[in-house]
Amino acid sequence: MKRILMTTVAALAMGFAASAHAQTKIELQRFFGACDADYGKVTDVSSAVGECGIITSLINKFRADNPDITVNVTTVEWPGYDQLNAQLASGAAPDVVSMHYSAISDYQSRGLLEPVDKLLGTQGVSPASFTDAARAGVMKEGQMYGLPFDNWTMLFHVNMNLMKKAGLVNADGTPVLPTSADELIAQGKQFKEKTGKPYLIQILANETASYTRVLYTFLQQQKSDFFANPKQIKLKTPEAKAAVELMKRTVSEKISTVGLDYAASVSAFANGDGGIAVNGTWLIGDYVAQSKKEGTALANGYSVYPIPQLFKAQDSTYADGHSWVMPKKNRTPEQVQAIGKLFKFLADNDFQWARTGHLPAVKAVFDKPEFKALPQRDNIAKIAQTGRSLPAEVQRQFAIQSIIGEEVGAAVNGDKPVDDALASAESRINELLGDL
Amino acid sequence: MREPEVTYKPESLTASRPLLWGAAVLSLIMMAPVAWLVGLSIKSNQDLMMGTDSVFRFPYTLVNYLNILHSSQVFGWLLNSVIVATGHTLGVLVLSSLAGYGFARLEFPFRRTVFVIVLFGLAVPEQAVIIARHQMFSWLNLHNTYLGLMLPGFSSAFGVFLMTQFFRAIPKDIDEAALLDNASQFRIFWKIMLPLTLPAQATLGIFTFLGAWNDYWWPLISATRKEMYTLTIGIASSQTNFAQSEGLGFLAAQAVFASLPAIIVYLIFQRHIVTAVSGGAVK
Repeated sequence: MKRILMTTVAALAMGFAASAHAQTKIELQRFFGACDADYGKVTDVSSAVGECGIITSLINKFRADNPDITVNVTTVEWPGYDQLNAQLASGAAPDVVSMHYSAISDYQSRGLLEPVDKLLGTQGVSPASFTDAARAGVMKEGQMYGLPFDNWTMLFHVNMNLMKKAGLVNADGTPVLPTSADELIAQGKQFKEKTGKPYLIQILANETASYTRVLYTFLQQQKSDFFANPKQIKLKTPEAKAAVELMKRTVSEKISTVGLDYAASVSAFANGDGGIAVNGTWLIGDYVAQSKKEGTALANGYSVYPIPQLFKAQDSTYADGHSWVMPKKNRTPEQVQAIGKLFKFLADNDFQWARTGHLPAVKAVFDKPEFKALPQRDNIAKIAQTGRSLPAEVQRQFAIQSIIGEEVGAAVNGDKPVDDALASAESRINELLGDL
Repeated sequence: MREPEVTYKPESLTASRPLLWGAAVLSLIMMAPVAWLVGLSIKSNQDLMMGTDSVFRFPYTLVNYLNILHSSQVFGWLLNSVIVATGHTLGVLVLSSLAGYGFARLEFPFRRTVFVIVLFGLAVPEQAVIIARHQMFSWLNLHNTYLGLMLPGFSSAFGVFLMTQFFRAIPKDIDEAALLDNASQFRIFWKIMLPLTLPAQATLGIFTFLGAWNDYWWPLISATRKEMYTLTIGIASSQTNFAQSEGLGFLAAQAVFASLPAIIVYLIFQRHIVTAVSGGAVK
């Protein structure tokens, strides 16, 4: 009896030890919010909606498919970089972190991130499988420093019902969109005259990001090499002046809303208070849902396009994106392998993430019938080729965004002459970059 | 015979009626954002995305509050906040009372100099020392611990100053009488002086608790594991990226939920808070 008992205990102990040994634990830290109430146990990713729902169910699915890997998820308030900085400083960084392409250079340049090329290679994920825009976002000094997950840009969200009223619809039902700065103003005036409403709904209050993204887009469209030296911006240029003057004209010619912050501009478009909302990819899902509801301002009348090419030099849209990076730290080979598996899983399921409205990072997704069947995606698919981020070596892109937003905002709203604003932005940014 | 109707009309009340009306109007203005917040919290995110004026229309819903309660972490964060805020408050009360008594009543070398050095703490903003503090706590492995969240708040220059001033205001005859009865310094402090400082203790305790409850920055960078989040950090981390437009109702419900314990503390101790604000506590 005693022998049986001892054998049982020993077997149980070995079993526990084996199962404990088999578990590989990785810490994943991300923004996108928490939605455990709705998606805490969902593994059917196709049933999830929204950024939070889809990423939560994706991780749930990965856990279910890989019972030997424990993924501990910590959510942080967007964008979470203060927390990450503190973790890196105290040597307690997570294994995998969500990061904007525009933030990678800040960490990579200080040697805080691991390159992931080899890791992806071991999982059979080739750098060539990603779109140019996505790959460029994570590529630093010839290496990939993160798994690209998507691209997002500012877009023209169009209220087709009002565009029809304004006589700005082609025979094929597509909207008439401007092909030059003058056309933008002319169509804006026509729209206002016919509908009595502003043509553009722009985020012009309590905002810096929107001004900056639009400015970058217009500079790229003029092929302005404003970051030829990644440590020095050039904004006292004819191209920058033309871009800001155009942004200012949309206000002075009264074809744009004024004084709307982000939330107000989102509601204004949903309520049909203007023709075209200049806002991001992330709103596509919400506006598509509203367009399917009878009685709303967008009912059966919503469409979305990249910001039109208003300058002749090239078609381009400033694009950023989300990636998954690996902070430098000691990891076991099992943990590294588990992260590789996770990255492959996320790349394989990039279509699911693309349902958020963001553009896929994986080229093959664009050819999938399911993706083509998603509303409006055909209209914006070209951003995979025309989307461009800032040069990879430019650091402090979030801080630069704030400075440009403040200065360009002052110019657009008439608080500062355009030349003064650009000069001030240039000197402030160069001072910031000079201190690095 | 019918008794004459007695109407109580205090003269002062009648005389100050314009003042009362003014106070009422100001109160309404002060309460409007709170009422707005509560209104937002009982509307669906979808309705609010179409326009916040939907607050004035039916239907209303408690779904945002249910979503908070369904989060598996929220009660853990609540418990963390209670532990941290309570521990922080107790630490401040103990240290400030002891230090205040020492500065007010005991003679020791460099007493004035040390007191001035402590007061310098009022002039040094937290931001100025945050990196050094973070590194120090990192070396001591105190991040992601309750002690790590509480310790920085213990050294309250304001608390020491408040308690010192309060102890100084107590007539020295009281402790001299106790000394004549052969009471030790600790006994004088514990049995005689400390009970006399209860109003100041209450004031300091309430303000410290509310400050610790609402603290965001230090927990943000010290508690980086979700099981150690306080309520402020936890609910902020639950927000989706575009919460201000797409999750406004949930955001407002989170704000209301996080405020509730502080409101309860206020309701329980409002008499002391009013006294503190009016300066009565140090008289």
